[in-house]
Amino acid sequence: MKLLTVDDSKTVRIIVRKAFKQYDLTILEASNGVEGLAIAAKENPDLILLDVTMPVMDGVEMLTKIKSNPELKSIPIIMLTAEGGRDTVLKIAKIGVRDYMVKPFKEEILIDKVGRILDLRLSSEQASVRRTILDELQILLVEDKPAIVQQVREGLARTPWKIHDSTNTWTAIDYALNNPVDLFLVSLSLPDETSFELFQVIRTNRKTKSVPVFGMVVKTDVNRFNRAQQAGFSAIITKPLEMEELEAKIARAVDLDMAPRYYSLQPDYLVVRFPEKPTGIDLSEIAENLTRKLGETVDSGLSQVILDLKAVQRLEVGVIKQLMHITQCCRDLSLHYALVGNPGVKEQGKGFEETSGWEFHDSIEAAESVLKN
Amino acid sequence: MISALCLDDTQFKQIVSNSVSSVFHTMLNLSIEMRGVSALDCDGAPVDFVPLTSTGEMLVVGNVGIVGRLTGMVYLYMTQSFATRIAARMLGMTEAEVEEDELINDVIGELSNMVVGQFKNQLDERGYACRLTIPSILRGSNFVVEPVRSAERQVFYFKCGDDNIAYDILMKAGE
Repeated sequence: MKLLTVDDSKTVRIIVRKAFKQYDLTILEASNGVEGLAIAAKENPDLILLDVTMPVMDGVEMLTKIKSNPELKSIPIIMLTAEGGRDTVLKIAKIGVRDYMVKPFKEEILIDKVGRILDLRLSSEQASVRRTILDELQILLVEDKPAIVQQVREGLARTPWKIHDSTNTWTAIDYALNNPVDLFLVSLSLPDETSFELFQVIRTNRKTKSVPVFGMVVKTDVNRFNRAQQAGFSAIITKPLEMEELEAKIARAVDLDMAPRYYSLQPDYLVVRFPEKPTGIDLSEIAENLTRKLGETVDSGLSQVILDLKAVQRLEVGVIKQLMHITQCCRDLSLHYALVGNPGVKEQGKGFEETSGWEFHDSIEAAESVLKN
Repeated sequence: MISALCLDDTQFKQIVSNSVSSVFHTMLNLSIEMRGVSALDCDGAPVDFVPLTSTGEMLVVGNVGIVGRLTGMVYLYMTQSFATRIAARMLGMTEAEVEEDELINDVIGELSNMVVGQFKNQLDERGYACRLTIPSILRGSNFVVEPVRSAERQVFYFKCGDDNIAYDILMKAGE
């Protein structure tokens, strides 16, 4: 698809180009009406953004010529003008424009207006970049109970996610229309059932219609739970909140790659890092990504794996089972491995039959040195 | 007060303030506030023209003309360094990338166009239909703009963080 910007201001042309950078859209430019007509005739754009006040040939004259050209008259046009007076608007409306924008304008408004005319799609480069657990997410929490807000902030503190909170749906809508939001977390017990109205607004707005919306409801509030399910909320989280579960659900809803939290491919080896208190979800994510990460290791021409338990507080049965599975996979792929642990882990390891013979090194450097030899 | 307009000082100040703050907020996401209005001497020069810079730094001045029921010129004064920062912010570039005068001129010209456009639109709503000229840029560190006798003048000062802007308006009744 092609968008032609006709404006004598290089600034405006740059702003438009920047606004649509992430979309699959070819941006054409002209600095006056004469150039604009020539490019329109040659390229047949899908939409024209046309400034009113320009030298050589102004926007009104170019618009008139476009509308009287059978080849070009069906091209939709959005007029841009710093002069939003009634006379100007009436004049251009009479000639026939699809929409108009008065400068100054927010980039989001421009994208929204163009999006109503063209089917904007993210460019394949943008679409294929998958975010990871290490990336910042913008989460909008709509909750009027300070204790819950604090619980969510504290519970998600180990992530790089930014929690923006709003106590009512009006400020939430205002925020969402002017700022990027990756996920909405909405209390279903807001006064006057406004959370369901908010959901409708989110789902009907072009900017937010595809953003996941989680509803939070007290476990025993079956009515609201069912109502949210029927309305089509992306997920319903019951209170009291299980923060680990909430984190995992958010990551799944936004399709985050969790592997970077546990795996890192170094120049000479793969590191598998266990967190301080590995939960069932942590172990599950490690297991889910194991095959892919070992495959990447082999494909990179590497043959060494370091299992890093330096941060682990307690060597629990679940961790041991996971370690046994990983070491078996390494043997199956002829990968050499070494373990890193702290004094507590070393001591606890002696207490299990499966791990009593394992050697835990003091650091990754020490483990790497052993592997090299 | 501009006698060509049936507006009191407060109303006129509000129109000027709205036109500047709406553009700075929308296009630059910057907060800007009116600090004051300058009195004028008998020659029409601001009595207490607050220097925009204490270092004699070059100024970049965007100006746009108004033609119609009101005729006049609006000058938007700022320092070169602030103009560069504005340009970088508006275009989503680094200051090093916008060092070219031509690009900064274009940004300040467009900014001035939008500010005076907002000013003009508010006057339009009050029955003072006008059109804008294309913007132009003045650069220098030691110059004075003087009105002709028949024009009225007001200079408004704005503060944006650590930077200052002067909004100089010369006007008289038109067509």
